[in-house]
Amino acid sequence: MVNKSATANKGAAAQGVLLKNMRVSRGMRIFRAFNLVFLLLVVFLTMYPFLNIIAQSFSSEGFINAGQVNLFPMGFNTETYKLILADSTFWTNYGNTVLYTVVATAISMVLTTAFAYAIAKKDLKGRSVFIGLAVFTMFFNGGLIPNYVLISSLGMRDTIWAVVLPNAISVFNLLIMKSFFENMPRELEEAASIDGLTQYGILFRVVLPLSKAIVATMVLFYAVANWNSWFQAFLYLDNPDLFPVTIYLRNMIAGVTTAGSAGGTAENVGQIAANIQSVTIVLTVIPILCVYPFVQKYFFSGVMLGSVKE
Amino acid sequence: MISTREFRRRDFLGLASVVTIGLMMTSCDSDTSEKVDTSKSRNGAMESFKVGDTFKATTPLTFTFLFSDQPTYPYKKDWLLFTKMASDNNVTLEPTIVPNSDYEQKRSLLISSGSAPEIIAKTYPGQESAFVSAGAVLPVSDYVDLMPHFQEKVKKWKLEPEIEALTQEDGKYYVLPGLHEELWPDYSLCFRKDVLKKEGLSEPKTWDEFRDVLRSLKKAYPDVVPFSDRFKGDSVLNIASAAFGTVAGWGLVDGLQFDEGKKQFAFAAGSDKFKDLVTYFNSLISEGLMDPESFTQTDDSAIQKFVSGKSFVISANSQNVITYRTSMEQSLGKGNFEIGKIIVPGGPAGDIIGGSRLENGIMLNSSVKDKDSFVALIQYIDWLFYSDAGQEFSKWGVEGTTFTKEGGKRKLAADINFQGLNPAGTKDLRVDYGFSGGNFAYGGTTELLQSTFNEEELAFQEAMKSKKPRPVAPPVPFNDVDREQATLALTPLKDHVKQNTLKFITGQRPLGEFDAYVKELDSKGQTKYVELANKAYKAYADKK
Repeated sequence: MVNKSATANKGAAAQGVLLKNMRVSRGMRIFRAFNLVFLLLVVFLTMYPFLNIIAQSFSSEGFINAGQVNLFPMGFNTETYKLILADSTFWTNYGNTVLYTVVATAISMVLTTAFAYAIAKKDLKGRSVFIGLAVFTMFFNGGLIPNYVLISSLGMRDTIWAVVLPNAISVFNLLIMKSFFENMPRELEEAASIDGLTQYGILFRVVLPLSKAIVATMVLFYAVANWNSWFQAFLYLDNPDLFPVTIYLRNMIAGVTTAGSAGGTAENVGQIAANIQSVTIVLTVIPILCVYPFVQKYFFSGVMLGSVKE
Repeated sequence: MISTREFRRRDFLGLASVVTIGLMMTSCDSDTSEKVDTSKSRNGAMESFKVGDTFKATTPLTFTFLFSDQPTYPYKKDWLLFTKMASDNNVTLEPTIVPNSDYEQKRSLLISSGSAPEIIAKTYPGQESAFVSAGAVLPVSDYVDLMPHFQEKVKKWKLEPEIEALTQEDGKYYVLPGLHEELWPDYSLCFRKDVLKKEGLSEPKTWDEFRDVLRSLKKAYPDVVPFSDRFKGDSVLNIASAAFGTVAGWGLVDGLQFDEGKKQFAFAAGSDKFKDLVTYFNSLISEGLMDPESFTQTDDSAIQKFVSGKSFVISANSQNVITYRTSMEQSLGKGNFEIGKIIVPGGPAGDIIGGSRLENGIMLNSSVKDKDSFVALIQYIDWLFYSDAGQEFSKWGVEGTTFTKEGGKRKLAADINFQGLNPAGTKDLRVDYGFSGGNFAYGGTTELLQSTFNEEELAFQEAMKSKKPRPVAPPVPFNDVDREQATLALTPLKDHVKQNTLKFITGQRPLGEFDAYVKELDSKGQTKYVELANKAYKAYADKK
C-alpha cells in the first residue's frame, strides 16, 4: 500500500518536471489560444445579459425604447433609482425580506437537517413511512383555499410565521441531504461512538463538520428561494408594512406599466416604465451576489476523501 | 399486502370525494337568496334618500373594503378622502390592502375562503360570474330600489341594455358597474403626422384610405415598412373588426356575435365579414405595407421601430402617445417630428366603434344583508359611486380645498398637481390626498371624465363623437354545467381562430382555404358551443 502511493507521487513529480522542460508544441499553442478565445467568449456570453441589465438601469427612456443600450448606459439617468430608494416602504420591505430570509432559512435548515439525518439511518424503525410522508407532499397538497383557511385559523395570518413556517421543509432538499448522509461512512460514526460520543455528539461534532459542503449548498438553496419568494407573503399578509420587497417591486412593475389614466400627462411614468424592471433586478440581486463568493468555497467536497479505507 | 400505489389512489379518491361534498354543501347556500326584509337593517340609514341628497349616516358606521393598492400612489390612512368621508358621511372604511399586481387572485382567494371584506372594489363586469353559484356575492339587483342615483343614471343615459347584459342565470345581476354617460374610445392608430404633411397626404378616414396612405408612404420611402404594430396586432384588429362588422383581436372575447334579425348568436370568426377583415389585412402584408412581425413581436421592438423612425404607424392610446413623444424627443430630437392619434377609420359596416359604457365596479359580500346597517351601506354606495357629488368628490376632492370651480370649469388648488394639469403644484392629488384613485373614481358624466384631459385628447374625443357605438348584445347566462362545457369548448376554438387569423393575414395559409378553416371550426366544437350559447340566451329571453 505504502509503496504504491510512493510510486504514484514519484510519477507525478516526474511529470511536473517534464512539463516544465518540454517545449510547447505549435499544436499546443494553437490549442491554448483557441481555448483562451473560446473561454473569453463564454465569459462574455454569461456576463452580457447582466451588464446589459445594469446599463439599462442607468439609461434614459428614449435610448431604452429605441433599443440602443448595450454594454454601457446611454443618457445617464437615475430617476427610477431615486424614486424607489426615496420610498420608505421600500426600505421597510427590504428589511422584512432580510428578516424573513434569515429566520426562514434558519428554521428550514434545523428542520431539514434533523429530518434528513434521522431518515438516513437505515435501521430506523418506520423509516419508509417517514420518507413516504415527505414524498407524498411532493405530489399532493391541500390546495390554495384550504391552506389559506388553515393559516387563518391558526392565527398566523398577518404575522411573520405565515411566511417562514409553511413549506419550511423542501422535500427536494430533504432528499438530497438524506442521500448525502447515507453516503457518510458508518465507520466514522462507530468510531466516534466507541470514543464516547452520544448520538447528538456524533451529529454535531462529527457529521455536521464533515457536511459543510451540503450544509452550505442547502443554505444557499433555501436563502435564494426565500429571498425571491413572494407568493406566500402575498397570500397571507394584508399589511403593506409586513410585505417583503419582492411584492413591493412586483407591484411597482405592474403599476407603472399600466399607470396613468388617459388624457393626461404623467411626468416621469415613461422613464420609470422603461427601466423599472432592470432597476428591480439590480436591487434584488445585489445581496445574493455579495453572499455567493463566500459560500462558494464550501462547494469543494473533498474534505472526507481518504479518511477511511474500505 | 396492498400495493402502495393502490393504497394511495384509494386515499386520493377519498380526499376527492370529501372536497366534492364540501363544494356541494357550499353551493346549496345559493338557494337562500330570498329577499330579506330590510326594515330591520336600517341602523344609520337615512329616513328619506333621494336623488341630490348627500348621504350622512345617522350613527358612525364602519365598513370593510377590499382595496387595490397602486404603487405610484400607495394607500395612506390619513388621506383627505378618508377623513372627509368620516366627517361628512359618518362612514369609516376599513381596508384590506392588496397589491394591485395580483389583486384578482387574492380577491378570488378571499371570496372562496369566506373571508372577503364587505365591499369588493375593482370588479369588471363578467368577473363576478365565477362567484355567483357559490352564493358568496350579493345579488345587488334585488336592492337597487334603495339606490336612487344609480337608477336615475341608468334611465337618463339609457343604460338598460348594458345592465341587462349583466344578468346571470337566475335573472339577477351581482355587480354594480361603473357607468359612463358615453362610450369612451381610447385606442387608435398613432401616425407620424410630419411625414404625412411632407408627402401631402391627409389623414385616412376609412380603412381603404388607410391602405392608400400606406401605399403612398411605401412609394415615397421604399426601404420602410410603414406600419409595424404592437399589442400583437390585437388592438388594430379590435378597432378594425368593429368597422368590418365582426369581432377580432381584443374584442374576440367569447367569439359570439348577435344577429338582431334572427335573434340568435353565431360564431363571429367563421363569418364572411371575418373573411373580409383577414383579406384586408392580408393585402397590407402582401403589398409590404404592414410588418408581418406585427403579430408576433414584443411591444418593445414595435415601439423601437416607431420611435427610431423605422416605421410611421403604430397602435396607441392617449398615454402611449405621450410615451412615444418623450422617447422620440431623445432619439429624433425635438421639432423633428410630429405624432398623434388619427380618428378611428370607418369600414364596410359603417362608422362603428366597439367598446362598453360599463367600467369596473363593485361587488358586495353576501353577508352584508344580515348587517343591521345594510340599508345605510347601500345608500352610501349609491351616493359615493353614482351621485354627481360623490363622483366629483372621488375624482377632484373637496371644493375649496383641492380644487375650485369657475364658471363650471374645475381648477386644481395652486399647490396641487395631477398628471401635469398644474405643473407648479408640489403635492399630488392622488399621492397626498387619495382622490382620482382607481378604487373610487370611475364612470360619470362625459364632462367629468374629460375634465382632466389635455387639449390633444379633448380634440380626439370631440372628433370621435361622430362614430356610432356597436349595439349591445343580450346576455348569455349559462348555468354551471353549461358554463363549464362552454369554457372547455371555447378555449381550443379561440386558439384555432387566433392561429389561423395570423396564418391568413401573413399569407402562410392561402385565403382560398377559408372554407376549409370554417369546417375545422366545426370539428373543434363550434356548433356545440353556439348551441349552448343560444340555449342559454333562449332560456333568458323566455323568462323575460
